[in-house]
Amino acid sequence: MSAVLQNLVNQPYKHGFVTDIESDIAPKGLNEDIIRLISTKKSEPEWLLEFRLNAYHQWLKMKEPEWPNVKYPKIDFQAISYYAAPKPKKKLSSMDEVDPELLRTFEKLGVPMNERAALAGVAVDVIFDSVSVATTYKQKLAEVGIIFCSISEAVHAHPHLVKQYLGTVVPVGDNYYAALNSAVFTDGTFCFIPKGVKCPMDLSTYFRINTEESGQFERTLIVAEEGASVSYLEGCTAPKFDTNQLHAAVVELIALDNADIKYSTVQNWYAGDENGIGGIYNFVTKRGLAKGVNSRISWTQVETGSAITWKYPSCILQGDNSVGEFYSVAVTNNYQQADTGTKMIHIGKNTRSTIVSKGISAGHSNNSYRGLVRIAPTATGARNYSQCDSMLIGDQCSANTFPYIQVRNQAAKVEHEASTSKIGEDQLFYFAQRGIGNEEAVSMIINGFCKDVFQQLPMEFAVEATKLLGFKLEGSVG
Amino acid sequence: MSMSMVTGNSYLESLLQGQPQLPPSPLAWFNRLRASAVDRAGMLKVPTTRDEEWRFTDISPLAKLSFHPVRTVPSLQKEDIARFYVEGTSATLVFVDGIYMPELSVQSNRTADLIVTNLSAALATHAHAMEPHLGRHAAFQDNLFAALNTAFLHDGALIIAPRNTAIERPVHVLFIATQAESTSHPRCLLIAEPGSAVTVVEDYVTLQEGPYITNAVTEIAIGDNAQVSHTRLQRDSGQAFHMANSAVSLARASRYRSISVAFGARISRYDLNARLAAEGAECSVDGLALINERQLADTHTCIDHASPDGTSRQLHKCIIDGAAHGVFNGKIIVRPGAQRTDSSQSSRNLLLSARAHIDTKPQLEIFADDVKCAHGATVGQLDNEELFYLKSRGLSEVAARNLLTYAFGAEIIDRIPIASLKRRLEQTVLEQTQRN
Amino acid sequence: MIYPDSKVLLEVRGLRATVNGIEILKGIDLTVRSGEVHAIMGTNGSGKSTFAKVLAGHSAYQVTGGSVLFEGKNLFDLDPAERARAGVFLAFQYPIEIPGVANSHFLRLAYNTVQAQRGKDELDPLEFEDFVREKMKLLEMSPDFLDRGVNEGFSGGEKKRNEILQMALLEPRLAILDETDSGLDIDALRIVTNGVNRLANRDNATILVTHYQRMLNYIVPDFVHVMQSGRIIRTGGKDLAFDLEAHGYDGIGNAQPVAAGA
Repeated sequence: MSAVLQNLVNQPYKHGFVTDIESDIAPKGLNEDIIRLISTKKSEPEWLLEFRLNAYHQWLKMKEPEWPNVKYPKIDFQAISYYAAPKPKKKLSSMDEVDPELLRTFEKLGVPMNERAALAGVAVDVIFDSVSVATTYKQKLAEVGIIFCSISEAVHAHPHLVKQYLGTVVPVGDNYYAALNSAVFTDGTFCFIPKGVKCPMDLSTYFRINTEESGQFERTLIVAEEGASVSYLEGCTAPKFDTNQLHAAVVELIALDNADIKYSTVQNWYAGDENGIGGIYNFVTKRGLAKGVNSRISWTQVETGSAITWKYPSCILQGDNSVGEFYSVAVTNNYQQADTGTKMIHIGKNTRSTIVSKGISAGHSNNSYRGLVRIAPTATGARNYSQCDSMLIGDQCSANTFPYIQVRNQAAKVEHEASTSKIGEDQLFYFAQRGIGNEEAVSMIINGFCKDVFQQLPMEFAVEATKLLGFKLEGSVG
Repeated sequence: MSMSMVTGNSYLESLLQGQPQLPPSPLAWFNRLRASAVDRAGMLKVPTTRDEEWRFTDISPLAKLSFHPVRTVPSLQKEDIARFYVEGTSATLVFVDGIYMPELSVQSNRTADLIVTNLSAALATHAHAMEPHLGRHAAFQDNLFAALNTAFLHDGALIIAPRNTAIERPVHVLFIATQAESTSHPRCLLIAEPGSAVTVVEDYVTLQEGPYITNAVTEIAIGDNAQVSHTRLQRDSGQAFHMANSAVSLARASRYRSISVAFGARISRYDLNARLAAEGAECSVDGLALINERQLADTHTCIDHASPDGTSRQLHKCIIDGAAHGVFNGKIIVRPGAQRTDSSQSSRNLLLSARAHIDTKPQLEIFADDVKCAHGATVGQLDNEELFYLKSRGLSEVAARNLLTYAFGAEIIDRIPIASLKRRLEQTVLEQTQRN
Repeated sequence: MIYPDSKVLLEVRGLRATVNGIEILKGIDLTVRSGEVHAIMGTNGSGKSTFAKVLAGHSAYQVTGGSVLFEGKNLFDLDPAERARAGVFLAFQYPIEIPGVANSHFLRLAYNTVQAQRGKDELDPLEFEDFVREKMKLLEMSPDFLDRGVNEGFSGGEKKRNEILQMALLEPRLAILDETDSGLDIDALRIVTNGVNRLANRDNATILVTHYQRMLNYIVPDFVHVMQSGRIIRTGGKDLAFDLEAHGYDGIGNAQPVAAGA
């Protein structure tokens, strides 16, 4: 395929700077002492230390998974530092107290953290190398009873809530990386929307990995009580390093009766260079429990970064009539590998799920959709519709589709469709014949391809996602 | 895990017991092939549900029973098996418990240049034609059942369709099981020389309802511009275990048309691998599993586009009643360089009872950009609109359901190119899908 | 229509082109003046569609000889998009489907690109909506075409109408219609050809590439050229098309090549 497309898909990473802030880093390696150190540093209650140690002991007994379509050298878990906090670590009550270097970082990242953000209706909880630095608009949210803070803070301020829900959707021994996270997570976000409250603004957290040898193990817990609703945005970037870094997060969502949680991610971790050197290993467990009747959990993700992405944001549809949704765009270029998809576990009656996945592969990358739709014997009347489309740019990449469909109830209906397409010379010629240049044509075709997913994103994120895809797949026409 | 390995291994030993009694062949390559398969079978483990390829198919019930190799077979007359013959064939080869029965076979309608014979006889006459193909397409390195079949290789069916000749009438290869607790390893080799066309029916039937193991391997080599139509019927007893591997290799601009139908067996597993090895090859791979009670029917197909300009079409259907379990794993691979591949695949499944279940996994693995690939899967009940339409025309609920269920299965049967066989199988589908 | 003293729009001299190393065009000569309608007829494989695509700049074809001047400038100096902006329009024989890209978005982008090139005002989405709806009436198209993906799931007739709609929007100097009549029923043919006729004026020109005389009942050509084996073997007036219909391509197959153009 043409040099035109080759040029279009190669663009330097825009967020590859390191912020020069002194970090407080734990010695490398993992053992009980490190876990106790983390727990002590964070002045945690005994039950949480127990939670961590329990996870650690389960992790020790587990085997590091090997995935058929993802290839990378073995990770040395003893070479990772499990705790890194930016140093001036006093309590911050306003943005003025935040290290200006940090603020500049956020500026470079384009994080909407200032007053304009307030006007845009965004509250931001910033996680910087695992420690929450500032949470804005907490006060305003507190007025309607919404708790939105770092998970460390929640452990102290709302221990009963954290204890009640933590690890209930993703048990500590769920999988290798979830167990590791449960043992060593350092910070993350806690969000609680009480009964009947519709969160008045989109909540947003920005994650960033800054230290070269630190892993990031953040933990997110969102609970929407009966009739509550919330839309949560998560954005991720990381600076460039030649080494690979591990990001093993756990996200748990719980929706009670008639509650609604919408979780959107734009993931742009550093993907490694054009030769596949460096980049984040993004091994993440995200799962939502639609526990109550008529509850809804909706995942939207735009995955453009990371050397390796392994994540399956899932929904356990336990409540009758509950709804699960998964909308995904995954873009891979150079030597990136993405193995991503979802699991929809239908347990309640008349549960419904929708899966829309768009994979775009370029360069030498490998992009796989892997999804599970399981209809339990109890899920009478369950419905699933899945659509998985792949687009290939160039003939050195690959696109795979692995849908697992398991139906145990005759009164259920499952439909899956998948297709593969390319940006053809003929399409580009057609655009050109109408006066539209290649760059614009590619952008239009890709945005058209991803339209069904982008329209699920909140406004600000949709713009960001479109731009990101632009960085990723467009550039100067050769 | 360790328990099942122990029983698994002893079961393997029992399967291999018959091996030393096979007479050596004067052909060195043939002996080598068999010896390497014996080695391999000894090394491979019985697959468990921990193996991705066997995730949904638990064959541990197999290990709980004891089986023996067949030494003698009952004497049968053509009248005893009259109902299994297909009218208008050019030749029929009959095997009883895996052993070739010349007196039951029919060669009278065969045109002189078509070769239809039993494999052990052919080793003396057609070894040269067989050597590049026998054991070369059905890989047994990682496949225990193919390795076992090859280890036991001594007879089977050989069909050679001669160059630039269209064989009008089908060739029927009939495998009849007569003994409970027996094991047989049926083997077929079909060579379609360049420019030939041939239709083959591979047919597994039974005269008794006890447990037995059929472990079949079929290899099909299709030359340039040749066409093969392959209908495979599995009508084993409801207690039987049917393990089968078919490997098909397609040369330039050749065509392969496969229809596999599974009605029988307690547990059946059919692996079909079709490799589009040269440019412009076409294949269509259709299947129907119609099962009931505690049956399990597992179909694994792999359509491997290894060359440019290939086309493949697949429609696989399962109708599952009782507490039966259907499994479908359909893989489509488009290799690097296999540009302009056009492939589509569809898995359609109908659950007729509350305890029936299905695991289906259509999958695409694509390594070329200029391709058109699509797949789809559905699981569900009969369409309510269609039911309503039929009822509005006066049909009872039951009659309407019966009609639609029948039609669902008949779509595959309809594609069988032999009218008499098609009618007979339609009758079977009708009987199995009707309720009162 | 032939106008006295109209200027030369397209000047093709000795044009040769290959695809995958096989020579398809073996020396084409053609002169088109503004206001004229030319029909290029020929059997499948005669090279007429190749000629259309070469003029538009399709990358599958390599020009190996000859020259093409468009309004006095070397056409081959321009890439496909530049040719389009300069006023060369190709109505595709098989219009391309572009899933997910809304037709309205595509049409507006194309329109504004060409407008900008001509130093004219671009239209915002609302203005464009009104403008395009007017044009759609010409082709009896329903407004819901605008919301669908470009040619996505369109019938053959709908695709061809969409092509002529684009022609109406872009107002090209030279429109090349490649087998626009194929796959059209009589009603659709009437609508499409009516659209083409109404767009023709003394400042532009049309080249119809077609296999059959049928379309020429609706769009009357000033010149008919017969192509065979990569050359124009005969040129005449509109009656030549009737001769072809009556006697077939074989009937004139051995005729001497005639210098093309007027």
